[in-house]
Amino acid sequence: MSGDAVQHPRARGGQAPDVFRKGGWVSMREYPCDEEVDFVIVGTGAGGATLACRLAEQGFKVVALDAGAWWRPLEEFASDEAHQQKLYWTDQRICDGDNPLKMGSNNSGKAVGGSTVHFAMVSLRFRPEWFKCRSLLGYGADWPIDWREMWRYYDEVEQALSIAGPITYPWGPPRKRYPYRSHELNAAALVLARGAEAMGTAWSATPLATVSAPHGKSPPCVYRGFCVAGCATNAKQSALVTWIPRALKAGAEIRDLAMAGRIETNDLGRAVGVEYFRDGAWRFQRARNVVVAGYAIETPRLLLLSANHRFPDGLANSSGLVGKNLMVQSNQAVWGVMDEEIRSYKGPPSLSISEHWNYQDKGKDFFGGYAYMSQGPLPVGWASTQNGRGLWGAKLSREMQKYNHQAGLKIVGETLPQERNRVTLADEKDQYGLPVARITYGFCDNDKKLIAHALHFMEQALEAAGGKEIWRQEDDTCHLNGTARMGDDPRTSVVNADCRSWDIPNLWICDGSVFPTIGGVNPSLTIQAIACRTADRIRALAQRGEL
Amino acid sequence: MKQRMRSDTTTLLALGGIAIAATVLGARKPARAAWSAAPRQTRREAPTHIAAARRFNHSSSLLALSVLADSAVEHYRGSFKNPAMFIPLLSASLSFFAGLHGGRDRRAASHPVRHGIHAFAAMAGIAGTGFHIYNVTKRTGGWSWNNLFYAAPLGAPTALLLSGGLGAIGERLRDQPANEPRLLGMPAGRAMALAVSAGLLGTVGEVGLLHFRGAFQHPAMYAPVIIPPVAATLMVQTALAAPRPRPGTRWWLRLTAALGLLGVGFHARGIARCQGGWRNWSQNIPSGPPLPAPPSFTALALAGLAALRLRQTEK
Repeated sequence: MSGDAVQHPRARGGQAPDVFRKGGWVSMREYPCDEEVDFVIVGTGAGGATLACRLAEQGFKVVALDAGAWWRPLEEFASDEAHQQKLYWTDQRICDGDNPLKMGSNNSGKAVGGSTVHFAMVSLRFRPEWFKCRSLLGYGADWPIDWREMWRYYDEVEQALSIAGPITYPWGPPRKRYPYRSHELNAAALVLARGAEAMGTAWSATPLATVSAPHGKSPPCVYRGFCVAGCATNAKQSALVTWIPRALKAGAEIRDLAMAGRIETNDLGRAVGVEYFRDGAWRFQRARNVVVAGYAIETPRLLLLSANHRFPDGLANSSGLVGKNLMVQSNQAVWGVMDEEIRSYKGPPSLSISEHWNYQDKGKDFFGGYAYMSQGPLPVGWASTQNGRGLWGAKLSREMQKYNHQAGLKIVGETLPQERNRVTLADEKDQYGLPVARITYGFCDNDKKLIAHALHFMEQALEAAGGKEIWRQEDDTCHLNGTARMGDDPRTSVVNADCRSWDIPNLWICDGSVFPTIGGVNPSLTIQAIACRTADRIRALAQRGEL
Repeated sequence: MKQRMRSDTTTLLALGGIAIAATVLGARKPARAAWSAAPRQTRREAPTHIAAARRFNHSSSLLALSVLADSAVEHYRGSFKNPAMFIPLLSASLSFFAGLHGGRDRRAASHPVRHGIHAFAAMAGIAGTGFHIYNVTKRTGGWSWNNLFYAAPLGAPTALLLSGGLGAIGERLRDQPANEPRLLGMPAGRAMALAVSAGLLGTVGEVGLLHFRGAFQHPAMYAPVIIPPVAATLMVQTALAAPRPRPGTRWWLRLTAALGLLGVGFHARGIARCQGGWRNWSQNIPSGPPLPAPPSFTALALAGLAALRLRQTEK
């Protein structure tokens, strides 16, 4: 059955899988390819699904395409890390540069719902100053959006996802109460808390997108701990169980196993639709507007793949910035062995957090900030982390026996936008016959200083919390952003604040690619907030006849 | 396997508790009919304060049953890590039977064993509160919301104190003269009404905290933080104002009693909404909304009705 999802599209014949019922179906509106729909959206992750839902609810005709499968979490998500790699985008890519990225588990997803199907559910707001970090903090680039406006959209997304968060959050300006209460802290989270208290810094329960009480058809989280391998109970508020069911109800069509290969434009320089591969054939969906929401690698790839005689450098690329300014988040950790049993894999992996160094500017020799969180690595992932340390055979076996006593602190660290970090097209072709993405990445000195600061601080915190045999994991990265940044000036950005491309007025980009800077927090909440804002802006523009 | 069996036993105990609670409440009328067959005359002529004492014994019994089932499930969930975690099970079991015994006893004299059991329950309730406070404060974060939500529930042992208190009141009332019985230096009806009011408010505090933890995700979750406080206020009014018939208060107390039973139904529905629902009862009964908790309101409301009747005979 599982294989079936990646072989044959499931959303067809006027119905789509009902993720809340085993074997169930819900009805889905379908549009013929030759009907010019209002929006065709490429990608159904945090950006695409949110926008598809909001636009459909506003009455637009929406078709959303996703290259991945439409999984049924209740039936097809195994407690098996290896099997669950089916959720990652592991198509061929070429990674080079000073610090070649590892693509897959913690930076890309290939499924209806995108990487929210396997994200760690950490739902954080940007620090307000980051929206003007060039003007206020002296690095990166300013966003064309005011933080107060974003604050309203954060509220909306937190409500929609029933975020379970603390009663008072120690950092940043006041926010509305989280709709659900924070989860019980596991022992790994308490290690972070003890360390932070010893260091004299604040800590908090992490706001998470997994429900702590029933919500609709989602049962409360059972702390199974396989969150990053896909939630088998639907407690996780991924796009697959939140925005997408809403989108279907509002009349959107979602096509699974539909790989977009090219956006067509006409002689007037407007987009006319998307060519995509589904069910063994290339097809073409006509649309009045095209939205690209493929995340920081696939979005620039599709724009570059769509180059034509009128736009020889790719679509929306008059600034030359499509694919450039790729930002990862640094994801380094310190690990230690505790006297007491920790069993860090119980519950969501990052139940507690310190954002101290996102909000504290003194005592830093670098720009930017980082959050660090408690960790709950699953066993196979943990063995692989130990391999990365060079442990093998008897040494590995001895180390693995400490698994239940292991605790760690890991950062989500800001990196600076650099034009040399970029996505381009390689000569190699993928299974669809399309040139694969070449991903070039290297940390700059500032990034390295931030990492060194974080490792030093976390080492002290972990030691203060009782950690022994402490060691550093220095090679990991996570979330990807940038590559189609938003801005106020067509010469220095790809899209405007409304995620509308400067060059092609009916081409929009709505995902993490539009971030001018990445901040030190997980990006999913911000991506969804921007999608909600974009939907509202599209409605306003449509009402004024400016679409 | 062993653990599974323990789990099954505990859950059966909990379910059994609910069934007995329902029986005790549901059987009130038939039972009265059975008792009344022979000593009908006696019963009619029984002094009002003995009738009130017996009702308090019954309430104490129901409350003890609620504590027994609730602490059995919750302390099982806590793996009985501290041997003291067995004490509420023992104490509540004894109180349950003492309450039933007292409920059948029409004599105008307190029973020393029952009285002792109730005193033990009250002390266990106080000690339990101490243990639970220690459990909250020893955790990282101390008096934080997260610890109040997820550490040992502060208000829970108070239910045992209340059960012991209601039972003890029932006993002491029996030692009073039929005419103008007094407790704690005031007319007995007034004292009992105030005790019920305090009990209701304490229970509301606990429910408020835990329903807040559940984010009031279902509108019905507001009912137990709205209806019982009104009942508590009416009880204070009953105690302090001049005695007179209070049909409104009586109906509100009946509503509060019904709320306790309805609550079991809502909590059963809550368990059904957990992953696996009732098919996964061995996990969802301990981790879902507590089935035995809501009847605390029923017990207190029934005690309130008894206090109300007695109060109406006072000057």
